[in-house]
Amino acid sequence: MPKSATDKRHFIIAAALVAVTTVLMDILLKAVLPLPIQASLEALTIDALIGWHLSLIAFLFSLIVVFMLYSIVVFRKRPGDNSDGEHFEGNTTLEIIWTVVPLIAVIIFAFYGINTLAEVTRSEPNEVVVKVNGFQWGWSFEYDGVLSPEMVIPVDQRVRLEMNTRDVIHSFWIPEMRVKQDLVPGQETILRFTPIVTGEYTLACAELCGRSHWSMLAPVRVVSASEFDQWLAQRRAEQNPALVQAGPDTE
Amino acid sequence: MSLMSLGLVRGLIGQALGTLAGLFLVTLIRVLAGMDPIWAEEPAWVTGAVLGVIGFLIGVGALTDWAKWTVGIPTPLHHGPPVGKPAWVRYFSVDYNHKVIGIQYGVTGLLMLMIGGAFAVIFRTELSRTGLQFLSADTYNTLLSMHGWAALMAILLGIGGMANYLVPLMLGAEDMAFPRLNAFAYWLNVPSIVLLMTSLFFGWDGGWTVYPPLSVIGSVGYQFVFYSIFTLGLSSVLGSLNLIATILRMRPPGMTLFRMPIFCWAILATSMIQLTATQLIGLAFLMVSFERLLGMGFFDFEKGGTPILFQHLFWFYSHPAVYIFVLPGLGIISEILPVFARKPLFGYRWIALSSLAIALVGFLVWGHHMFTSGYAEYLRVPFMLATLLVAVPTGVKFFSWLGTIWGGRLTFPTPMLFVLGAISVFLIGGLSGPILATVASDLHLHDSYFVVGHFHATIFGGFTFPFFAAIYYWYPKITGRMYNEAMGKLHFWIMTPAFWMMSIGQMSVGVMGMRRRIADYDPALGVEFGHILVTIAGFAIAFSILIMIYNLLHSAEVGKVAGANPWRSRSPEWQIPSPVPEHSFAAPIAVVGEPYDYGLPNSTYIRMAGAAGDD
Repeated sequence: MPKSATDKRHFIIAAALVAVTTVLMDILLKAVLPLPIQASLEALTIDALIGWHLSLIAFLFSLIVVFMLYSIVVFRKRPGDNSDGEHFEGNTTLEIIWTVVPLIAVIIFAFYGINTLAEVTRSEPNEVVVKVNGFQWGWSFEYDGVLSPEMVIPVDQRVRLEMNTRDVIHSFWIPEMRVKQDLVPGQETILRFTPIVTGEYTLACAELCGRSHWSMLAPVRVVSASEFDQWLAQRRAEQNPALVQAGPDTE
Repeated sequence: MSLMSLGLVRGLIGQALGTLAGLFLVTLIRVLAGMDPIWAEEPAWVTGAVLGVIGFLIGVGALTDWAKWTVGIPTPLHHGPPVGKPAWVRYFSVDYNHKVIGIQYGVTGLLMLMIGGAFAVIFRTELSRTGLQFLSADTYNTLLSMHGWAALMAILLGIGGMANYLVPLMLGAEDMAFPRLNAFAYWLNVPSIVLLMTSLFFGWDGGWTVYPPLSVIGSVGYQFVFYSIFTLGLSSVLGSLNLIATILRMRPPGMTLFRMPIFCWAILATSMIQLTATQLIGLAFLMVSFERLLGMGFFDFEKGGTPILFQHLFWFYSHPAVYIFVLPGLGIISEILPVFARKPLFGYRWIALSSLAIALVGFLVWGHHMFTSGYAEYLRVPFMLATLLVAVPTGVKFFSWLGTIWGGRLTFPTPMLFVLGAISVFLIGGLSGPILATVASDLHLHDSYFVVGHFHATIFGGFTFPFFAAIYYWYPKITGRMYNEAMGKLHFWIMTPAFWMMSIGQMSVGVMGMRRRIADYDPALGVEFGHILVTIAGFAIAFSILIMIYNLLHSAEVGKVAGANPWRSRSPEWQIPSPVPEHSFAAPIAVVGEPYDYGLPNSTYIRMAGAAGDD
C-alpha cells in the first residue's frame, strides 16, 4: 500500500471502485424505486428525466461513499502509531474544480429540466376537456354539462382538466400518469396529460384535506375513442332523456 | 425545599392562571356586552393562550430583572448555584449562565425529540398494515401534525443547546453577549411546548404546514399551534440576535473570523437566517389566527384573498428553516472530523463561506415547495434554477470532508461514528434533492412518500446524527465523565442501518404512488412490505435512542473520569477543566495560530494569559 496520501495509486484504486460501484448502484436504485406503469406520454418524458437523475445519484453516491470507506479502511490509525495525519490545509485548484464541475452539471440538468417541463405542460388544439371538482372528500367530473362520478377519458388524446374546489386545497394525482396539480379555492387550475394505455386507474388526493383525505379517491378509466363517445352519449342520455327523444343532433 | 422554589413550577402555575384569566376576561366582556352565547371558544382560548405565555414568563422569573430596572432597582448578576438550595435547582429556574442555559435547551430538545418520535412510532404502527387498525382518521391526522411540530421544536431546541453551550466556550468568552435575553429566549420555549401539547386535546389535522382554508375551518386546536409557534419564533429571533452579537463582538484577541472554530461560522450563518426569516412564519400564523378570530379574509377567495399567499409566506421561512436545522449539524461534522482524523480541516475558508452561500441561496428557493400549487407557471423555472444551485455549496462541504479524512490517522469512537453516519445519511437526503427540484419529476414525486424520505434523511443527516455526535463528543466536557463506549457504539450500529432502511423504504413506496399524510392506503399499490420495513426501522431507531438516554444518565454517575482533553482537541473549551468551571476560563485567552493545525509540529491555537496556560 502506498505510503503518502497523495500517491497516485490511491486515486487510481478509488476511481476504479467508484466506477464499479456506480454501475451496481444504478441497477440497485432502479430496482428499489420501481415506478408505476407508464400510462401517459408524460410518464415517458418524466421517467427519462428520473432515470438520468438516478444515474447521477448512483455516481455521486459512489464517489462520496467509496472515498469515505477507502479512507476509513486505508487511513485508519494503526495500533501503536500515535502520529498525526499529513498536514495539508486545502487545495484551491481542487476546490475550484469541485465548485465549477457541479455548477456545470446543475446548468445541464436545469436546461434538461426546463425542456421536460415545457414538454409535459404543452397544449394542443383538440384537447378533451374535463371539468374536475374536488371536495371534502370526493371527486366529481363534468363533460360539457354531463356529470359523472368516475373519470372516463379517451386514449391517445390530450386531456385538459379544468379543476375547481370550493372548500379546501386538494391535489389531483394518478401515479400512472405521473403529473400532479393542486386544486385551489377561488381559482381554476389546469392539468394536461395524454393517456396512452387503456385500463383502470385510481385518482387520489395528494394534499392533506382533513379527516378522510386518505380515502378521497375516484375511479379513472382510459378507453378507446369510440368507447368514450359511446359512454358520453349514454351518460348524456341518462341525465337528460328529453334530449335523446328530440332527435339525432344530440349524438 | 419547597416545590415553589423551582422556577419551572412557578411558571407553569403562572401559565395556568394566565390562561384562566384570559378565559374569564373574554367571558366577562361578553356578559357585560350582552353577547350571546356567553361562551365563545375561539376568542376565549386565544386570549387565554396569550396571557398564559405572559403568565409563565412572569411566574418563572424571566422578566424579573427587567421589571426591576424599570423602577431603578439594581440587579447584579448572580453567579453559581442558588444560595441554600441544591445545585440541580438552577436547571429548573431562570439562570443566566450560558452553560446552564445550553443544558436546559439540550435536555428540553431531547425530551421533545422523544415526544415527537413517540407520535411517529404510534402512527407508523398504524401504517404497517392496510386498513385502519387502532387509530381513527382524526387521531391519525392529529398525531401526524403533532409529530411535525414536536420534532421541529426538538431541532430548534437542540441547536439552541449546542450554540449556547459551545459558542462562548469556543470564543473563550465568559458568557453570551446578553445573558438575561438568553434566559428569556430559552424560557419562551416552555410555554410554547405547553401550548403545542394542549392542541393535542382539541385535535388538528393540517400537518405542520397548516395550509388554509383547512386550518381556518378546523378546530380551535389550530389557534394553540399558531401561538405556540409564534412564541417559539420569538425565541428563535432573540436567541439568534444574541448569538450574532456574541460571535461578532466577543472574540478574543487574534481570533479573526477565519480563525474561529468552524462551528461558529455555522451558527453565524444559521442565526442570520433565523433573525431575518422567522418573522414571516409568525406573520403567516397570526394572519390565519386573525382570519379565524376576526373574519379577516387574507386567504379567503370570497373576501378577495388567496390561499396561495399563505404558502409564499410560510415557505419563505420554512424553506430557509431547513438550512437553520442543518447548518449547525454540518458545522459539528466539520468541527469533529479533524480531531479524529488528526489532520487540518480541508479548505476551511471554503467550508465557512459555503455555509453563508447556502444561507443566502436558501432565501431564493421557497417556491420549489409550490411547483404544483397553482401559482403563476413561469415562477417554476427560476425556483428550479435557484434550488439546483444549492447543490454547489453543499457539494463543496462533502468534498472538503473527504479531503479532511483522506490521509488521516482515523480513530472511531462513538462521536466519530455518528459524524461518518451523518455524512452518509445527509448524502441520501442531499442526493434525493435535485430530482425534486426539476419541476417535471416533482410533478410525480410531490406530496408523495419520496418527499418524506428525502427530508427525513436531510434532517437526520444534517441535525439528528450530528446532534448525537455532539452529545457524545462534549459529554465528558459537560459532566467530567466518559460515556459508555460500548453502549454508544451499540446505539450507532442499530440506528444507522435502521435509518438507511427507513429512508430507502420511504422513497420506494413514494415512487410507487404512496401519498404523504394518509391514514390508510390502497393494498393494490403494493406498498405494504415497504411500510412494514419502515415501521420496523422506526422502532429500531426509537429503541436505540433509549439506549443513548440510559447511557447518558448512567454514565454521569459511574463513567470514568474524563480529564480535561480526552480527544486531544486544539479547541479552547478542551484546554480548561472538565466539567467546565462556573467562569469557564480562569484567564483571558489569545489566539496565536490556526484552529485545526493537527499534524503541524509546535503549533498552538490559543494561549492563556499567565503562566498556567502557557504551554
